[in-house]
Amino acid sequence: MTTQRLPIAEIWVYLSGSPLFALVITLLAYQTGLMLYQRFNRNPLANPVGIAILIVAVAINAIDMPYAEYFKGAQFVHFLLGTATVSLAVPIYRGINGIGSRAVPLFSALIGGALASMLSAVAIAKLLGADQMIIKSMYAKSITAPIAMGVSETIGASPTLTAVFAVATGISGAILARYVLDFLKISAWWQRGFAIGIGAHGIGTSRAFSVHPEAGAYSSLAMGLHGILGAIAIPWIAPLIDRFLA
Amino acid sequence: MIIGLTQILIFQGLGELCSKFLLPTIPGPVIGLVLLLGFLFFKKEINPHLVLVSDTFSQHLGLLFIPAAVGAILYLPALKEHAAAIVLALLGSVAITFAVSVLILKYMSKEPS
Repeated sequence: MTTQRLPIAEIWVYLSGSPLFALVITLLAYQTGLMLYQRFNRNPLANPVGIAILIVAVAINAIDMPYAEYFKGAQFVHFLLGTATVSLAVPIYRGINGIGSRAVPLFSALIGGALASMLSAVAIAKLLGADQMIIKSMYAKSITAPIAMGVSETIGASPTLTAVFAVATGISGAILARYVLDFLKISAWWQRGFAIGIGAHGIGTSRAFSVHPEAGAYSSLAMGLHGILGAIAIPWIAPLIDRFLA
Repeated sequence: MIIGLTQILIFQGLGELCSKFLLPTIPGPVIGLVLLLGFLFFKKEINPHLVLVSDTFSQHLGLLFIPAAVGAILYLPALKEHAAAIVLALLGSVAITFAVSVLILKYMSKEPS
């Protein structure tokens, strides 16, 4: 009996030991997320990334796979976050070249939005009595995760917490954007897209692309510029705000 | 696709090197981004290989977040004590950020919103 069960067990050990399993489950979960998103007529509540994260979490829990084990395989996908960040130079270049008379409003919105995202998060968390580490880890949460984690480390916050906050911000931003922007009666795609990119980085940008190409282009422009601005400015501004709030 | 990816990986590598040896406060991918941007301004054009890779990444950025985000979910129980503060700070902040950004655009731009 044991001789019959052994081969299957061996195949399983082989598969779970190679990156294949983690990669397949990550991509399958993402495809499923996209499929459900389409099925629900791109309703923002059916966020494909949110669905995929839940599927993977449930799946690795169900087969008792430790996260470290999963990550060993999925790190190949994770690694590409840095590559994707570098590739943002392309939408920034295209955006800046075609920006024309929109330059002043766009750069003003970038600076205003970036300040608003930091100040509001830090102030609300502080008011509600969150502890110091959580507050500090909020500064970089609106910039794209690979940059945010690096910035967070620089200012002495927790990169893990910042990654948690950045992903939560991206998903909730992708869900909330439509309601906030409709409420403010904004219908210009470039304005909607740019605001989404400032507030909800990569996950918001995926959402913006799925709604309208112009929104997506402006969203990736905003995400890239916010990433550069944040990486340079947050290490300087965070200590000032810390002192101000203390 | 491969040609574009190669170019981007080279800039990513340069960025990591600069971050390690010259500008330790700035993450490598950001320096890579700025270097590639400088290169594009210098060349005054984007080759189609780069466009292909960049557009693919932009549209599927969400996929790349999944591995880290799954770890984040496992981290959530540790944050239970501060859950209300965190949820309100994140939701409030993202809504405020959208509103501030888009209202600045709306009032500073001469085009219709």
